[in-house]
Amino acid sequence: MNDAEGARSVRVVVVDDHAIFRSGLKADLDARIDVVGEAGSVEDAIRVIAEQRPEVVLLDVHLPGGLGGGGREVINKSAQLLGSTSFLALSVSDAAEDVVAVIRAGARGYVTKTISGAEISDAVIRVADGDAVFSPRLAGFVLDAFGTSPAEIADDELDRLSARELEVMRLIARGYSYKEVAKELFISIKTVETHVSAVLRKLQLSSRHELTKWAAERRLL
Amino acid sequence: MTNPAERPPLYRSGDRVIAGVCSGLAHHLGWPVKNVRLAMVVAAFAGGAGLAFYAWLWVLVPTADEGARRAARRPVSPIAPAVNGESGPRPAPWFTGSGVNGRFRYGKELLLGAGLLSVAGILIAKQFGADVPLGTLIPAAAILGGAAIAWMQLDENRRAGLVDKTKADQAGGWVRLAAGLALVVAGVLVMVSGSGSWEQTWLALLASVAVLGGVALVLLPWGLKFWKDLEAERAGRVRETERAEIAAHLHDSVLQTLALIQRRAGSEQDVVRLARAQERELRGWLYRDQAADAGHLAERIKSAAAEVEDAHGHVVDVVSVGDAVTTERHEALVQAAREAMLNAARHGGGPVSVYLESSDKGSEVFVKDRGPGFDPEAVSPDRLGVRESIIGRMKRHGGTAVITSGPDGTEVRLKLPAAAPEERNGEGRS
Repeated sequence: MNDAEGARSVRVVVVDDHAIFRSGLKADLDARIDVVGEAGSVEDAIRVIAEQRPEVVLLDVHLPGGLGGGGREVINKSAQLLGSTSFLALSVSDAAEDVVAVIRAGARGYVTKTISGAEISDAVIRVADGDAVFSPRLAGFVLDAFGTSPAEIADDELDRLSARELEVMRLIARGYSYKEVAKELFISIKTVETHVSAVLRKLQLSSRHELTKWAAERRLL
Repeated sequence: MTNPAERPPLYRSGDRVIAGVCSGLAHHLGWPVKNVRLAMVVAAFAGGAGLAFYAWLWVLVPTADEGARRAARRPVSPIAPAVNGESGPRPAPWFTGSGVNGRFRYGKELLLGAGLLSVAGILIAKQFGADVPLGTLIPAAAILGGAAIAWMQLDENRRAGLVDKTKADQAGGWVRLAAGLALVVAGVLVMVSGSGSWEQTWLALLASVAVLGGVALVLLPWGLKFWKDLEAERAGRVRETERAEIAAHLHDSVLQTLALIQRRAGSEQDVVRLARAQERELRGWLYRDQAADAGHLAERIKSAAAEVEDAHGHVVDVVSVGDAVTTERHEALVQAAREAMLNAARHGGGPVSVYLESSDKGSEVFVKDRGPGFDPEAVSPDRLGVRESIIGRMKRHGGTAVITSGPDGTEVRLKLPAAAPEERNGEGRS
């Protein structure tokens, strides 16, 4: 994405219970990514992450071991590292509850396993820079959960998306990259990233009635 | 909201002094085992509370093995990991007392009415001087009543078992069983002793209750174990059925596809197409929304995308927000979207993104590809695809279609307001 970042290498731990997928992913990731560790279960993941202190953890949502909490459990148990380590959820699952559960546990983004190595690499770099990564599907879940009408009053700031955030989410759901969103809305990529991070924060912190109801309908909370 | 602390499930531990209750409890609470044991011993001196608590946990808490088997028995659900982590161990079933269900209300009233009527009849008969053998009738009535209460409870339990296997009203059941038993015993005693001497009857009653209590004490563990085995077996059967259903589905779909993929391994295009179609099918089966109606807009758009995917071997991702019941006008939207997807799959490169948003204001569909793009103005008039099937169709049904194209790809935006002017509706059928 950005050539200035070409020199930098991001330390990554890959957590997935399929060895084939891990090795395929390692081969796909480009030179900017330095895979420093791998894990295939909840316990291994927690140990490897604590040892390696990577910048980014590529984390499968469904993992064996632990108490059965999968990726969410890994994030919860590594909570003291959240300041220095970011989690990027990686899943084949389409289910809203799987995705939203890891995001609410603290993951900085969510991508599907079918995306290309270059896209995953971009996403890793973005997460390492402290930004959020939204796939079209996650954007769709957010719009579904928060509703598609903008916030008018300032005091329910956490519970609704602003008009601008809605526009950004819609464009991402339509398959636009951050760059295309920026071009479409005549704003800078940095601003797009700010909006997306704000949405992520709302998704993580909101205790909004409708969000609770929405999640409850999908047996999440 | 933050996630609540996750605790290991409460199981009796293998690392044990007596039955592993204390170490299991310590593991569950995250306390040192020594403290828990000490607390238990101290509590045991407090009027035996610790002993009672220990015994209670011993009976109710499964060992780690049993727990694992039970966990495996949980209904297979694609989203289980997201749900299970929070639910933790279930409370013992008979804690969750619930109200008496109203099914037997009428039955009770009828019984009471019949009883009162017969009492009245007997009293009237006595008034007229008939010789009513009260000494036999009262115990007989007591036996009948007691038996009725006990049997009613059995029947109700069985019915409740069919509806709800948690046996929520177990406590009420025990009380009823005890009451029925007491009545029957009292009746039998009065009948057998025949003396009618209250004191004698009372003594006999006490003795028999004591004997019954002793027998119950001896048989209780055996009965409990029997009951648990029964539950385990029933759950096992349910699991077996589920497994068979899943196996049948996997056999019909996934195994067939895998066999096909092996035979066509040479053709990358075919393999991708097969894998993608199978993935879609399996996803539909795993994550299907029971509430989603096949006639709804989101479902229609998804099936249109699936057709295009199958026909062109091109990935079409659909994201939908909200949903609407399809009408004839929505049908036009689906057809136009389908045409746009076909174009995107044919001419565009990379995956096709489809986004559907429905609200009470109307429905919008966006179809985006990453192809080289084209100039919508330059499309020759004889190309019906875009002009007629997309733009024309949307216009006729009171909607709009906008096509933007650039070097980054092409996007078709279809918009259908909720309510269209009437005259346009009629025109649309041309």
